[in-house]
Parts: sequence; structure tokens; C-alpha cells
Amino acid sequence: MQPVQAAPSIYSKVYKLLAKEEFINNAKLGKVLARKCTKCGHLHLATTYFCQNCGNKTFENAIIEGMGAIVTYTIITVPPEGYEKYVPYAWVVMKLDKTDLRISGFMGGIKSPADLPLGMKSKMTGYDERGIIIEKL
Amino acid sequence: MEKVCVIGAGSTKYGKLQDSITDIALQASVDALDSAGIEPKKIQAGYISNVFGIADKQVHLGPVIMSNLGIPEVPSLSIESACGSGSVSFREAYANVAAGFYDAVLATGVEKVTHTGTEWTTTYFSYCSDFFYEGGAGASFPGLFASIARAYLAEFKATEEDLAMVAVKNHDNGFLNPKAHLRKKITVDDVLKSAVVASPLKLYDCCPFSDGASAVILCNEKFAKDHSTNYIEVIGSGRGGSPAALQGREHITTIPSTKIAAHAAYKMAGVTPKDIDFAEVHDCFTIAELVDTEDLGFFEKGEAVEALRQGRTRLNGDIPINPSGGLKSKGHPIGATGIGQVVEVFDQLTGKAGERTVKEGKIGLTHNFGATGASCAVHIFKSV
Repeated sequence: MQPVQAAPSIYSKVYKLLAKEEFINNAKLGKVLARKCTKCGHLHLATTYFCQNCGNKTFENAIIEGMGAIVTYTIITVPPEGYEKYVPYAWVVMKLDKTDLRISGFMGGIKSPADLPLGMKSKMTGYDERGIIIEKL
Repeated sequence: MEKVCVIGAGSTKYGKLQDSITDIALQASVDALDSAGIEPKKIQAGYISNVFGIADKQVHLGPVIMSNLGIPEVPSLSIESACGSGSVSFREAYANVAAGFYDAVLATGVEKVTHTGTEWTTTYFSYCSDFFYEGGAGASFPGLFASIARAYLAEFKATEEDLAMVAVKNHDNGFLNPKAHLRKKITVDDVLKSAVVASPLKLYDCCPFSDGASAVILCNEKFAKDHSTNYIEVIGSGRGGSPAALQGREHITTIPSTKIAAHAAYKMAGVTPKDIDFAEVHDCFTIAELVDTEDLGFFEKGEAVEALRQGRTRLNGDIPINPSGGLKSKGHPIGATGIGQVVEVFDQLTGKAGERTVKEGKIGLTHNFGATGASCAVHIFKSV
């Protein structure tokens, strides 16, 4: 993994958590930092501190390619503050290939459901003031 | 454990209100005390649910309400659990009376946000999501439920017309409720032609942002018998949780916290979903009512749509859902909603629901959750 500068994001100010920064740095490279429980092998996103399956506290990092298929999404026309200039855009949930993990994020350039059939292959491409960025392949 | 009863209930009108957050909370509280026929001095604790008091420059509402009721020495607790604040607060009030700490308590829910405008509310409500993944990636609350809707429509062959029928039904009920925010009848066409907020949800699929306050008096059975002849009993109380973010859920069309809370409440009450005569459920968006009525066990997964089409959930159906008009038509002052549902059940079971009284209603259920169901409480009541 290439060294990446700490994320210049509002979240680094809110969450003083190393895991979050590391997660964001990976997201910028299109990768998902997951944590694999050393006891039962259950996978979580890096922001979990105890295993949701067995309660164990120790994990090893698992870097997963941010590739997957769209499970569901919406196209936002009435946005929260800061997103006005991106309207219309999609917020999507994507199931990552080869795991049971899902991740959600921002997808620009979606105007109607015809632009994004469910199951569409997609990829995480970065992280910025819009949050986790996901794009169609 | 003590048996817990509800002996009084009151509500302001829901809608765009002019009075301050403190004033409307007090109006509902005084109505509840009057309805119970007791004086404030009988109240031993206050449970105050509210989310955005900051919008009307008053947080720490408990002592302000208690002081204005003339009982500044009475302890209070302010509770925030997003849109589920009211039911979570009711549960804490219930648990404390059941445990024997208090004989009688006041639970008041209140919200005052409409003066802030749509952008403020859309933005601040998004803070109730798992913000890093959801609000912080551009998802509004309509957007999160729209994502549930798209998955549901695809999985169960339901249509946007079906969603619209939920809104039409709840507006029909709300039309009969003098306290409802959107007190007008609408058609499926009205819903389909309304502006898209977050596809596939349109404006009329969404509950309104409302101001309003609701309050109830809870007490033990002895207190109820000593002070009233027209009260109801709480026979089941359950709570549950879900992964905070939608992405953490294996099935996006099911809300785990509802199932957990309902299971606990049914078990405590010793009843099954078939025993419930009517229910007030969390229909913040039309899709939510379909998902709720399945998760509560009234219908099998995917079958709520057919039940809706057959009219089974209408006021004259075999399981009326949201006789008050629900969040959709009655309105959704988020800190008050969970308490408002109890007010409706109280009115239904004590003969005060007027034209919208359900036939042979003996056992009523309330279901209220926070965010996309990350937190949930279910309560079951019976007439005495």
C-alpha cells in the first residue's frame, strides 16, 4: 500500500480514532479496510472495536478491493446542506465482491433509475467532502 | 413488578405551531393531568423526550417543565433517541413505575422545528443516521428509506402505486383526527404526481416535519384504581436495536430492532400478533408501514402489500393500522411521536377516539423507532 497523507476531512476532527483515519486513507485508494476477528474470522468494517459475532477484541487488518454490485440506492433531489451543487446524485449501498460486507456512499451523475440498474458492477474510487465515493464500472 | 397503567393522555394539535417549545410541552402536560384528574403534586418524576430543543433555544427541558407545573423539586430526565425518543422515554417511565420507584410519573414528548425551514431540518435530521457512511455521504432521511423502498419494490414485486395507497389510507384516517397536521384526503394520483424527494419516494410518501407535544400519566395499579375509573393497562414492553447503518443489515427490507422489540413485548404480554386489534406504527415514509407490519408479525414477509390492497389495514379492516393518521397524516414532531401513539391508544381504548374509533378494540400496540430503526420500542396495551 502506498503511503497516503492524513485525510483533510471534517471527520478527522470529529473522530480522533486511528481506525477511522486508516479507513479513510484506504478509501482514497479505492480499498476497504476491514478487520478480521482473530478468534472467529468474522469480517467488519474498520470502525468496529469488538467482534459483532463473538465479542473478541483483537483483529487483523484485511484490505479488500472496493469492487462490488449495487444492492439498492436512492437518487436525492432534496439534499442536506453542502450537497446542493451535486443534485441529482445517488446514495448507494454496494455489496463487496467475495465477502458478505456492504458499504455505502456517494455516486454522482445519476439522474434517473435507468442510469443505475440494481446489480450494477461498481467500484469505490475515493473519499472527499462528499464522503465515500463510489462509481459505476 | 408492579402492574403499570396509563390514566391520562393529552396532545396539542400537530402542525406548524406558533407557541414556544416550552409552552406546547406544558399545554400537553396540563391536558394529560386534567385527563387523569390529578394535580401535579401527585407526580413523582418526569420523562421528557425531545431531539432538537436547540432549534427553539431550550434544551434541558425537564426542569423547565417541572418548574412551570409548580413542582420544581420533582426529578426529571431528558431523553433523545432520534424519532424514537417518545417510545424510549415511555419505556423508561414504564420501567421505573414497574420497578416500584414511583407511584405516578409524567412522560411528555415535544418537538418544535418547522420555523427552521426544510434545509435545516433535512440537514439536522441526517445527523440521526450513522453519519460517516450515510448523512456524511449525502443521504437524507427520505433517501435512506427510499433505498429500503427500492430494495422492497424489487424483491416483492410491489409498485409505487402500492406505496401511495399507504399514504391515501393514512390521510383518510387523519382526516377524522382534529389534531392531525395534514388533515386532508388525497388520491393515489396526488401522491404519484407530487415532487420526487428521493427516488422512488415522492413528497406525499413522506411524513411532514411537525411541531407538537403529547403527554401521558403512568402509574401503578393501586394509584390508577384510587384516582380513575377509565384507564388502560400496559401489558407488554419491548426494546431492540439494529446495526446503525443500513449497510450493516443482511436484509435491507427488514428492521431487526422491530422484530426484537416486538418479540419481547408479545412475550411479556402473553399474546401473539393475531391478538392485536389495532396498531399505531412508525410510518415516517409509506414504505416503513409495509416493512413494520411484516416485522411486527401481522403479515408474512412480502405480504403487507396484498393486505393493504385488500383493505385489511383500513379503519374498518381486520387489523387497522394507524387509526390516528400515523406520522404520515397526523404528523411527526419527532420527540413527541412515540408518546402521541400512546395517546391514540388511550383515546381508542377509553372511548375518546370519536369517528375514528376501531371496532371492538380491546388490545392496541404502539411501534416507534429512531432513524432507520436503529433503536425501537414496542408497547402493548389493553382496556381495563
